[in-house]
Amino acid sequence: MTMSKPRVGIYGLTSCAGDQLAILNCEDELVSLAQALDIKSWVMAQSVNDEESPLDIALVEGVVGTERDLETLKDVRERAKVLIAIGTCAVWGGVAAMKNHLSRERMRELVYGAGAEHIDAQKALPLKSVVDVDYELPGCPIEKHQFLTLIGSLLHGDLPEFPQVPVCSECKMNENECLLVHHGQVCCGALTLAGCGARCPSLNVPCVGCHGPVEEAHYNANYRALRAHNISKDDIHKRMGIFSSPAWMPKVLVQDESLGREA
Amino acid sequence: MAKKINQSIDIPHLGRVEGHGGIHVEIADGEISRVDMEIYEGSRYYEVLVVGKHFTEVPPIVSRVCAICSADHTLASQMAVEDAMGIQISPRTRLLRGLLLHGSMIESHALHVFALALPDLLGYPSLLAMVDDYPEEATIGLGLKKRGNTVQEMIGGRAIHPVNAVVGGFGKAPGLAELEKLAGQLQEGLDDALKLVDLIDSIEFPDLSDETNIYSALHTTEERYSYLGNEIHTSTGVVKPIHAFREICHERVVGHSTAKQSLYSENPFMTGSLARININGHLLKGKAREVCDLLLPNLPEYNDLHNNTAQFVELVHSLERAMILVNKIIKDPLEDEPPVQQVVKSGTGVGALEAPRGTLYHSYEIDDRGIVTDADIITPTAQNLANIEKDFRTAVTRHMEGQQEEKKDCLEMVARAYDPCISCAVHLVDVTFKEE
Repeated sequence: MTMSKPRVGIYGLTSCAGDQLAILNCEDELVSLAQALDIKSWVMAQSVNDEESPLDIALVEGVVGTERDLETLKDVRERAKVLIAIGTCAVWGGVAAMKNHLSRERMRELVYGAGAEHIDAQKALPLKSVVDVDYELPGCPIEKHQFLTLIGSLLHGDLPEFPQVPVCSECKMNENECLLVHHGQVCCGALTLAGCGARCPSLNVPCVGCHGPVEEAHYNANYRALRAHNISKDDIHKRMGIFSSPAWMPKVLVQDESLGREA
Repeated sequence: MAKKINQSIDIPHLGRVEGHGGIHVEIADGEISRVDMEIYEGSRYYEVLVVGKHFTEVPPIVSRVCAICSADHTLASQMAVEDAMGIQISPRTRLLRGLLLHGSMIESHALHVFALALPDLLGYPSLLAMVDDYPEEATIGLGLKKRGNTVQEMIGGRAIHPVNAVVGGFGKAPGLAELEKLAGQLQEGLDDALKLVDLIDSIEFPDLSDETNIYSALHTTEERYSYLGNEIHTSTGVVKPIHAFREICHERVVGHSTAKQSLYSENPFMTGSLARININGHLLKGKAREVCDLLLPNLPEYNDLHNNTAQFVELVHSLERAMILVNKIIKDPLEDEPPVQQVVKSGTGVGALEAPRGTLYHSYEIDDRGIVTDADIITPTAQNLANIEKDFRTAVTRHMEGQQEEKKDCLEMVARAYDPCISCAVHLVDVTFKEE
């Protein structure tokens, strides 16, 4: 079934606004997007917004990091038929969730000093740990071509299926020399979901895992390849944990790195 | 005699000011008793997140502080790490970094001037709503923004959160064919921008001039207008090396904000386009010189609302300067060179640069294993918050006898002028105004 002019809301919770900016960066498509969609709310781009309307599609960026974020997300979930998490923060927690094992009160004290109790100190959570999420589009930020494919599919009442393959697949297609095997660099490509066209390794820069984990990675083979270069399982899990910590923390021996600061 | 007024003005959801914030003003017995720029964006504790991380991991983490100036956070953190470890970068790296900064400035200023300030000043809810009535202006605005992104994609590898810029250098140099195409696009962009000078000139701002205002910006020892420099200059004649940035920015935590505020000698100050033009404007050349003389003829300009005008002047400057740098690379093509090999050593370093919204400071302490042990980031918006409140106070005082709508409009215009973040001023909707 084709949706005619779906009612859309675009929301940003605690984040850098990069996924919404990635949408705004579709300069050539922006006018047609505005014509194809009935944008009820997009605080970042328009000054008249309807926060009561039922929504066919809600696109939500960022982590749940405050009480206010939680209220917004629950309200949007109630009004939206399809709720889509956009960006690695919304899907996996992103950098904000990197140290969820630390007490937020302690982190607050370290950054703001004593007497900053007015600052809401909560763990940074991905959307799915709070509400039901219908579709996830990771990326830090999301890839423009994937976003436009997503909107195109939604306009036809469908959702896209992007290949669930690691960055290495795209890296091989670009005929790059492997940064891990040939140069011994800590590259997260084998554990990270593709979609970026292997952007970083194609520039001679190792992958930092910004799209989050690929499903069913070949862990044992990867760990063996890493070990050959003196990179341990913990090293690579910690590196992956920069962007998708909740997916890796159970696997890592939790070390309180920040304690070094006080020692 | 004026009637004594008791009232409060609330703009509860100002929209994004690097996220979420609002304005709260209270007036008792005809005197302003309280002016708060409330910030309730969720805290992400970056200064704790990077502690314990290897120095190579720092730039990709701190770039996520803000998408719009991600290139600036990336470069400032790299410069700080290099300073801490004594890494000397090559002239090629310096050139590419300069170009990347201009790309960031073009994208951010075009977005703010055209997609944000202009619709409001012409009475539209968004740039998209302007398309039917102002097709040329809207197309030019989006086109300029896109050119800034093209520069960032070509040099940084990605428009948001650049990946090609690393500690010690760059992954890959851009290809010659791409650069030649870019040179043409920048020239078109400059021609387009110049078509809008009259429009920018026709905008009238309320007078908030105050000769006690203090401005702060980086200053370069080279005789040209630059976004890099080793010294901090203030309009009051103070000169400090960037390593002494804490002597300019005394940070304090305030109860109505999750962002810290900065004061200099207990005084608020302004950083950003207007501050840069006030301090370094005499160094502008070419078309930017002509545009500046026309739009801001009497420097220093003490009306902070003219920050929008100053952004337009810088947009022209960055288009011109980016073109010069691109042509320089085309004439003398860059060979690929690996980033400078780092000899890991302990130390503390500072990186400072002029980001679109003002001076950005990063500082890191690194141990002998290359692990970060302490971090400090002071963003332009944090420095400006106290000054925004000062300008709110001036705006309300000068409109004390005016209508409620006038006061609100003026408060919103102040917030918009500072461009605290992309939608800071777009989203001034839920305005409530109560008379007690």
